[in-house]
Amino acid sequence: MKVKILRQVTPFSESYWETFRAEVTGNMSVAELLDHLNYHDDIVDENGRKTTRIGWECSCLQGVCGACAMVINGVPALACETFVKDLKEEITIRPLQKFPVIHDLVVDRSIIQENLKKTDIYIGEYKPAEKKSTTEALKEHDHQYTAAKCLKCGLCLEICPNYVNGKTFFGAVFANDCYLVSTRNREKASEIRKYYGEHFGNTCSKALSCVDVCPMKIPTLASIAKMNRKILT
Amino acid sequence: MKSAIVIGSGISGMTCAVKLAEAGVEVELVSPFPSERSQSVMAAGGINAVLSDHEDGDSVACHIEDTRRGGRYLAGETAVAGLCGHAEEIIRYLEGIGTVFSVDENGLPARRAFGGQSYRRTCYCGSATGKQIVSALVMETRKYEGAGLIRRRLWSCFHSALILDGRCCGVLLFDESTRKIEAAYADAVVIATGGQNALFGKTTGSTQCDGYTVGKLFLQGAELKNLEFIQYHPTALYTGQKKMLISEAVRGEGGRLFYIENGKRVYFMEEKYGPQGNLMTRDIVSREIERTGRQVFLDISFLDSRQIDRRLPEVRDLCKKYRNLDIAAEPIPVEPSVHFFMGGLAVHLNHETNIKNLFAIGECASMYHGANRLGGNSLLAAVYSGMIAAKEIAARPSEKTLPEEQTDFVRQLESANEQLKKALEAGVESPFPVMYIREMLAETMNRDLGIVRDEASLDAGISDVDYYLSAADKITYDSSVMPYEIYSLKGILSLAKAVLVCAKERRESRGAHFRSDFPEADDDFGCATIISYDQGAYRVRFDKERAYES
Repeated sequence: MKVKILRQVTPFSESYWETFRAEVTGNMSVAELLDHLNYHDDIVDENGRKTTRIGWECSCLQGVCGACAMVINGVPALACETFVKDLKEEITIRPLQKFPVIHDLVVDRSIIQENLKKTDIYIGEYKPAEKKSTTEALKEHDHQYTAAKCLKCGLCLEICPNYVNGKTFFGAVFANDCYLVSTRNREKASEIRKYYGEHFGNTCSKALSCVDVCPMKIPTLASIAKMNRKILT
Repeated sequence: MKSAIVIGSGISGMTCAVKLAEAGVEVELVSPFPSERSQSVMAAGGINAVLSDHEDGDSVACHIEDTRRGGRYLAGETAVAGLCGHAEEIIRYLEGIGTVFSVDENGLPARRAFGGQSYRRTCYCGSATGKQIVSALVMETRKYEGAGLIRRRLWSCFHSALILDGRCCGVLLFDESTRKIEAAYADAVVIATGGQNALFGKTTGSTQCDGYTVGKLFLQGAELKNLEFIQYHPTALYTGQKKMLISEAVRGEGGRLFYIENGKRVYFMEEKYGPQGNLMTRDIVSREIERTGRQVFLDISFLDSRQIDRRLPEVRDLCKKYRNLDIAAEPIPVEPSVHFFMGGLAVHLNHETNIKNLFAIGECASMYHGANRLGGNSLLAAVYSGMIAAKEIAARPSEKTLPEEQTDFVRQLESANEQLKKALEAGVESPFPVMYIREMLAETMNRDLGIVRDEASLDAGISDVDYYLSAADKITYDSSVMPYEIYSLKGILSLAKAVLVCAKERRESRGAHFRSDFPEADDDFGCATIISYDQGAYRVRFDKERAYES
């Protein structure tokens, strides 16, 4: 199988494509494939020329840490849970392009945290709003639980047509944390609403491609609906 | 004290940083990646606490006894009493900062049964307890980042500690984005780097927890403790890329272990230990699985599919994704896997090491779990130890670093940068990937330091690691990998040797350490193993005076 990878040595050097050949077995994930290319034997390109080891990030290797986010055959995804058997004969891998490249497939996603920091997105103290019924409370709880599973992996930003570089529009990752904070601490809700409108609500064109690529299946549409409702009240 | 450097930003590191900031101490929180990538997010099952609405008969004293019994009475009573005694306060704290705990019909934290425990006292957040706590702590840390009290230093890896006359004054850090080593000074340094997975290659844990920091500090004079006690989790699902943990929650919800003989299921744990057999401690279950010599399965398919979705959704997803297996319809093939390290940096009750102003917390420190750890106690210890270290540091007066000490440290920094430059200049043509040595090490450790050990296998392991150590300095490495991977090798190998030496010296069986040549517990070894490094010599002693229990 042919594997084309967009590479870059340092943050300041030019990027270039390199093609490898790999033997693929069983239920191999793209993460396993990268490991295989790097350490199965000496690393050579498709013409047998010696090259450098491919840089990429991983930690949990089971879809709960978000380290290995990259673009695989045009789709932003986690390498550890994208399986080669589901891909076409030729695999194309490039780093997330909405973030600065550090090295090969490693990118700097610190803008996500910076934006949450400058808008004071933290719960501080658990003060939930009173719920009308147990069913309602349970539903809200499930939504909060899923929202709090956000990996800050950046896949939702990579696919979003509105997100450019995080300077003004902060994307779905921001909207979900806004929802979480404003429902876990009712006293912060109005402050959060202001930032939500400014950095998300007023710009989001509801393409909702973010929902499709989210590894945690966070119901961003529901978060948006609840935040928008709060804006109106 | 006025300033601290915390190395590692998982649950323990963040707790410590937040508590220091609350007390007005300025913190530099160092990690190559954000907290979302830490191993803490993988902690699935729960966190133990006897809350005021506990089950009839349960008590803090009972939690203490379960913890000490699980650890085969190696952990100090005062330390364990502190841990269990503060458990309710810790749950209230985590609730207070917004952690999304699973709740009962009254909105109070729900509790489940967990292995080795007399009562249901494990609070949880679905099957993602660690992740939910991380999310809440990231927000709390952010609060103090905004206030200027915590500064996150990303892309930074530990290189070495700056130690003079037995006192730690700071660290050298390798910055991945600038590819340079820099010095950072503070009144106290806290190590929160997690376990030592990389010694064993693929485990249930994160690839980032490699044990280097602990290994390097050992070479710099820090004493290590109880290294031979390594917990195998009995139920892991093997895949090509790693060993996936199947949470103990599955057994907590009634999951049954069996193997197949003559077409029939043999529920070997229940046959040997009675109806609660599946919930025996992890060491016993792991050894029993190994003893069967067969493929063992874990069955939860008798539970209603909706109940599985509600209570074990992550386990269901994981099995579907990586093995195309539906746990609501079929049993899960499981095998034991290295999972947790009870040993690590030796610390006193205040979490200070034998080096002054150098602290260790979380999994990289050895304190509460003795010879084996109960499920649900690691998250508790991660938070508690972070709080204890922070309290001690905040209460202590600062010591001024003298200018002449700084000069020594500048020399250490220059020499580290020179060595790094040399390694990088070796170029792409130099053929040998450092990862090959790491893979050989993992093979040695898995073979010679498995669930069942003996003197001959441990000697063989020591001899292998000695060989890797003797070759490590002479090889020119492929420099196209992150330089950290190259400079960390010697620390990792040294730690591996220390683990093997400790396992050899403990000539008895206790908790997670099982010697086929000494299958019984021996009172002579009823205390902690301490190992220190002295100019190439690995010196082991047994802490009969209990020096680390004060």
